Amino acid sequence: MDIQLKRGLLDVCVLAAIRHEDSYGYQIIKDMKPYVEMSESTLYPILRRLEAANCLTVRSAEHNGRLRKYYHITPAGIRRLEEFRSDWQEIVSIHRYITKGEGEHG
Amino acid sequence: MDKQAFLDALWQALQDLPQDDVLESLEYYEEILDDSMEDGMTEQEAVAQLGSPLEVAQRIRMDMPLTTLVRARAKRRHMRAWEIVLLVLGSPVWLPLLLSAVLILLSLYIVIWSVLISLYAVVLALAAAFLGSLGLAAFTMHEQDLLHGTFLLGCSLICAALSILLLLASIGLTRAVCRGTAACVRKCKKRIVGKGSVS
Repeated sequence: MDIQLKRGLLDVCVLAAIRHEDSYGYQIIKDMKPYVEMSESTLYPILRRLEAANCLTVRSAEHNGRLRKYYHITPAGIRRLEEFRSDWQEIVSIHRYITKGEGEHG
Repeated sequence: MDKQAFLDALWQALQDLPQDDVLESLEYYEEILDDSMEDGMTEQEAVAQLGSPLEVAQRIRMDMPLTTLVRARAKRRHMRAWEIVLLVLGSPVWLPLLLSAVLILLSLYIVIWSVLISLYAVVLALAAAFLGSLGLAAFTMHEQDLLHGTFLLGCSLICAALSILLLLASIGLTRAVCRGTAACVRKCKKRIVGKGSVS
């Protein structure tokens, strides 16, 4: 898939994974697995980017005697998710336009 | 490879980057490894799923800002004495050349932006012409001179149309320039990261 397109999509996927409750790196990847395969080294820059864009906040909490980072979605992150839903209509209609003539020619 | 060996290798590979960033990424990968093992993977499997430490280091580098990468690269490369002597002795030759090359590129870039700015100025001027001739048309019509009033009204509408069309074109051009700039920065980054990680 086109890198720019996929990058934007994965950002939104990560936000969706923490939408209802705070989550941590390993769990986010696991939750997304049935829908989209994402490697650990792909997730890391996305989390950093989303934090820099104020779409999520990070807190450390103790778990089994070690620290684990939990990611929490912010109002800006929720807005970003909602924007994606409206953008999606546009993408669907572009897709319809691109694949329009295909049945006739081959 | 066990967890500690992986983290050590990763730390080694990122020595030249800012310590805070390195520590943060090490914490992230340690947490992933711990959670993977807690979920039932063996230590070897957990490490294997991440790929080699060098690959992971490469990914982390690509995520750094360009300025950080340049600084890291300068730190990594130790010059020999004769190289330094040559560089210093040759500086009257290469410094002005380098400087002028950079300045030429910079001025070209500034020219591109000035063209864009002047396009926006034309848009503004056309909009002003639209408002002005619209006012004049209203005044002329008010004075019962319908013929000239209609002519002025037509002129003002033409100005408005031109202004809107030019505005759309300018916005498109601005976007293209922004995209081009981002692509250039990405390319520079790739060059620096690519060269650095092999050694």
